[in-house]
Amino acid sequence: MAEKIVVTSIGILSAIGRGTVETLHSLKEMKSGLHYPVHLQTVHANDFLLGEVNKSNDELATLLALPVGENGYTRTTLLALVAMQELMQGIDKALLQEEGFAFINANTVGGMCSVENMYEDFLSEDYIGDKVQYIDTLDCAESTLNVARYFGLKPFTATISTACSSSANSIILGARLIKHGIVKRAICGGCDALSRFTLNGFNSLKNVDKEACRPFDKNRFGLNLGEGAGYVLLETETAAKERGAEILAVLSGYGNTNDAYHPTAPSPNGDGAYNTMKLALDSANLAPANINYINAHGTATLSNDAAEAKAIERVFGEQVPLFSSTKPYTGHTLAAAGSIEAIFSIMALQQQFALPNLNYQTPMEDVNVQPNTTLTNASITHVLSNSFGFGGNNVSLIFSKA
Amino acid sequence: MNPVYISAAAALSPQYTFEAEGLLQDVRSSDNGKLFVTDADYSKFINPVAIRRMSRLLKMGISTGMKCMQLAGIRSPDGIITGTGRGSMRDMEIFLGDMIRLKEETLNPTYFIQSTYNSVNGWLAMQTKCNGYNQTYVHRGHSLEMALLDAQMLLNETNERKTYLVGAFDEMTDEYFLVKSKKAYWKKPVPNSLDLFKHSDTKGSIGGEGAAFFTVTNDKENTICGIEDIRMLQDPDENEINRTIENVLQRHHLNIKNIDLVLCGMNGDSRFQPLYANILTGFTARTSITAFKHLTGEYDTSTSFALWLATELFKRQEIPEIITLKKGIHSDIKNVLIVNHYILNSASILLLKGN
Repeated sequence: MAEKIVVTSIGILSAIGRGTVETLHSLKEMKSGLHYPVHLQTVHANDFLLGEVNKSNDELATLLALPVGENGYTRTTLLALVAMQELMQGIDKALLQEEGFAFINANTVGGMCSVENMYEDFLSEDYIGDKVQYIDTLDCAESTLNVARYFGLKPFTATISTACSSSANSIILGARLIKHGIVKRAICGGCDALSRFTLNGFNSLKNVDKEACRPFDKNRFGLNLGEGAGYVLLETETAAKERGAEILAVLSGYGNTNDAYHPTAPSPNGDGAYNTMKLALDSANLAPANINYINAHGTATLSNDAAEAKAIERVFGEQVPLFSSTKPYTGHTLAAAGSIEAIFSIMALQQQFALPNLNYQTPMEDVNVQPNTTLTNASITHVLSNSFGFGGNNVSLIFSKA
Repeated sequence: MNPVYISAAAALSPQYTFEAEGLLQDVRSSDNGKLFVTDADYSKFINPVAIRRMSRLLKMGISTGMKCMQLAGIRSPDGIITGTGRGSMRDMEIFLGDMIRLKEETLNPTYFIQSTYNSVNGWLAMQTKCNGYNQTYVHRGHSLEMALLDAQMLLNETNERKTYLVGAFDEMTDEYFLVKSKKAYWKKPVPNSLDLFKHSDTKGSIGGEGAAFFTVTNDKENTICGIEDIRMLQDPDENEINRTIENVLQRHHLNIKNIDLVLCGMNGDSRFQPLYANILTGFTARTSITAFKHLTGEYDTSTSFALWLATELFKRQEIPEIITLKKGIHSDIKNVLIVNHYILNSASILLLKGN
């Protein structure tokens, strides 16, 4: 890559905390955010542990100085706004008003979290009450445009939906828009709120674990769903230096490929994950041995972890770096996972640690790799972050020390 | 950035666009405010085992993509990039309806899987064995436009000859129509679709759907036209649209007289008609002004129909009566503008150049 693309501000919200300080604290204390849901109204509330953000919609609205109650904002948008609030506090807003700026967002089901509770009214021939204001919120773009409007910005916008790799893709798109000179800066990431639709969707696939998920463990059963939002501000190194901004990390490489194997399952020998990681390494001009930590996709489903572990073994051979899945902390936050874990990767660079893979006990049988299970202090220069999705949509990102 | 070129195009629409020899000679219309696509023989394009469980939108999207690949004579593209506003609406509706009715028990995962916005892309990648770049934009009225811009960027990031499959798909359903009627999307009373523009003094449009795919390449040889510029506007007023058109012309060293044809996305809704006022009157007698939403209805990715239509006009050098609002006195069709606006306040402007 010619001009370095760097990260200069971040904003994060998940089940393990609001903002960088709370999040780091939970990560270091090895404190999982999984619990039985309080805010999601589902018949399965006592069945499944979820990575639910510890705030009601009204509490989120209050943080944003928005009216409480049915204010027209979905939980998806509220999560996005609260994460963005942190990112915006780290910069001068004028920066985004003067010059070419993009907001690239991602989610999987838009405002389904609201729509699913109102849909019967929507379908009733003569219903014309207050809920009508939520009709267009089903669109994935709703949260994107609402974030821009809330902060009084008129950016170049885009919304991506490639299942669990969505927000990793927004980070790639933002970097490319900057390289082409289409914009000078880009805020990239994703948001997803828990919904009954998604919980029941994954449950119908029979890959949701009732216990806390166990990525890369022989006895793993499936994933835990989560919710949250994460955003990073990208700009060129030159632009960051010009304004004297602190550079948190360099986005040094990325890869996007498709598995072309099955609608929901990865190729069993991990070809897709292998190709994606290789592509990211090539684009960063790095050898596998340069990677010090991998934040794996590690959903704890049978097929993902088997394929991903094999791919890691194939890419890294005898020198497998410290790796872990942080899904047991946050649950699988779907479209937000790529950007939330990108931020965890940046934290690993800044704090010089590799994060633990919680709940790991028994090695898998047909691979030799084992995840890192403790908070491990190490010299971390390059971190690889994987995000693999339904539809074979695979993305790997590489972040490097500034 | 350098322009990119369309080497083949396929469209499934309410009209006979998928296989017909002539262009918009027989025309389909509707009186109920909805225009549904004219179904094709999808079994020609999709694995026979897989097709049995597939929803209509998946069949529409995959078949149109495969047809485009056939026309281009390519087995596997370098990547697949799509845009959709709604994804598989019907799968979403069924899964959601069942979930409510069955109180979250014993649900069929097929509807859930197919409702994910990137499922058409996944299938196209499998069918064409394409391991390359794969992306899905779900950005309302800018979904296709983002896919095209992404392809243009990718093709400018390489020195090799590459071809991406780029497309869009959206479906209309009875539930969608009912739900959106509460937000004044549609005309009441409902005119015949062909009379849509006679009712531009009242609110609302007619519902539509379609799928269109394009092979987009950086090698001009044997292509139909170039995409010279793609502009996306959010919440634009008439001035911003006009300024953007001026800016596009200036950037490409064109005079307003050089535009042979404008494809206009007016949808018969009085709220948006002013956005097209200057286009309808501001061009000189040289320029043909055309419109298409009386043939397709309104949907998030209708620009894809306009783009397909443009490729046909470049090839045929003849403008069907049914789309003509004003016939220009240009000799051939070379420079074309697409100006489209979607109901949720986004607009796009594309400049195309025939080869």
